Amino acid sequence: MDSTTSFLVALVKIAVLVGFLMTAAAYLVLLERWIAAWVQDRKGPNRVGLPLTGLRLFGLGQPLADGLKFVFKEEFVPKHVDWWLYTLAPVVLLGAALAAFAVIPFGDALPELGITAVDSVDSYLQLIVAPQVDVGMLYVFALSSMAVYGVILGGWSSNNKYGYLGALRSSAQMIAYELPLGLGILGVVLMTGSLQIDEIVAHQATTGYWNVFAQPLAFVVFVVAAFAEAARLPFDLPECEQELIGGYHTEYSGMRLILFLIGEFMHMITASVLITLLFLGGWHFWGLTSGPVENWFDAIVRIVILLGKSFAVVVFFMLVRWSWPRFRFDQLMSLAWKVMLPLGMVNLAVVAVLREPMFANYLGGGSMFVFMLINVAVAAVAWIVTALLQPLAADNRPRRAENLA
Amino acid sequence: MDALPIFLFVLASGGLAVGMLFVGWLLGPKRTSAVKEMPYESGMDPIHDARRRFDIGFYLVAIAFLVFDVELLFLYPWAVASGGTGEEVAGVDAAVQANLVSSRELVFAGIAVFFLLLVLGLVYDWRKGVFRWR
Repeated sequence: MDSTTSFLVALVKIAVLVGFLMTAAAYLVLLERWIAAWVQDRKGPNRVGLPLTGLRLFGLGQPLADGLKFVFKEEFVPKHVDWWLYTLAPVVLLGAALAAFAVIPFGDALPELGITAVDSVDSYLQLIVAPQVDVGMLYVFALSSMAVYGVILGGWSSNNKYGYLGALRSSAQMIAYELPLGLGILGVVLMTGSLQIDEIVAHQATTGYWNVFAQPLAFVVFVVAAFAEAARLPFDLPECEQELIGGYHTEYSGMRLILFLIGEFMHMITASVLITLLFLGGWHFWGLTSGPVENWFDAIVRIVILLGKSFAVVVFFMLVRWSWPRFRFDQLMSLAWKVMLPLGMVNLAVVAVLREPMFANYLGGGSMFVFMLINVAVAAVAWIVTALLQPLAADNRPRRAENLA
Repeated sequence: MDALPIFLFVLASGGLAVGMLFVGWLLGPKRTSAVKEMPYESGMDPIHDARRRFDIGFYLVAIAFLVFDVELLFLYPWAVASGGTGEEVAGVDAAVQANLVSSRELVFAGIAVFFLLLVLGLVYDWRKGVFRWR
């Protein structure tokens, strides 16, 4: 109950979480390289193991070796850049990417420990750095917008044409896809009536209907927007190697570059965890997580379920990366404004009408099952209509006649 | 609600980034040359400063984003107030009980008009060719 304890508890949580995230990022990079090798039918990094022993351990030492290499690389700043902005950009990107985890729960709660902190409910320690923050989702949203600043600052301060073009493209892409992202979240918020992520999860756990079943259309819109926000293939236009070398980080090297790369990787991890929490039921799984947390077994099962689901989404991200070609920029913009934004609006309108008592009473008294059926039908119709209209097939290249006019 | 952990977390993540930069600066070599200082343009000599005029399309996207994003943000309080399981009286229902608003239907009608304006804005932009990228 005293503030010193809660301060210490917060510090311990932050240290554990940041340590876990950095390690996870390092080893997920290794996993991504393994998956890339597997998809392309070659051997991935499999040599670096324990030094001086000759043990290879399937290449598990690779992330440590990479990290060491980056530490000993030169911190080179070219003459033509703006030093302050050039240094600030990667710090902003990584800082924002990490700080988003402050309101993201990593499980439900721990069993009674005897520590009574300000932030605990009924003396159960919540597995979230800043619990009871009632604008949680907005906070994550705000920090994901902060990433645009990192990108824009990096591209602008580099004073390099590739970097400049990459920053412009990247910011246009990120702000365009922020709207579908917000619309997807709005549908979920309307279900729960709260912006608190743990309450959104708790709502899915009590009804037993994950939002991916209750609102499949919102799920699709959110996942596509999350891919674009994380700048993963097929949305990696900001840094497409063939056209823009490295995009906004063309002029970056050494530790500054690795900050950018970790920051982007963190965005993917954030996106995966958010998809899990908002749509895949978080720590809930039918039959395994009934009732409140009473002992260590309950607590650990929930953490494992949540991490397992997030891991599956991360693997999905990686498989998509090696399965789809990159969009053209006009296709990217059309997808955001002409497909995802209208679909998100359709989803929001349908959910809003179905949740409103005066309409819900005509439709089976607002039961979750009817709600789910209607939403699945809406998603199916939306899919068919989109497929028939072929919004990305339009040829938007400039016409000679238009240029003359 | 206690926001202190959030500030701590922002400080910690920013500090981690700055610390990593410092370690890299401490341990890395420091060598430079005239060619190394040049902007990287695939081996070509750069012709002029990179910060030049850019396509108006980016500007239009930014304006459209601002309009729609602000409108979306106005929808969030409504979603929080009128969403929920309905088990406890909160949000719009509580406002109706306290006679702050005459009925739940009125709130829904209001937000429907607002949403319609959002849709009209999208249709207008679409017809004007804001989303046509060339």
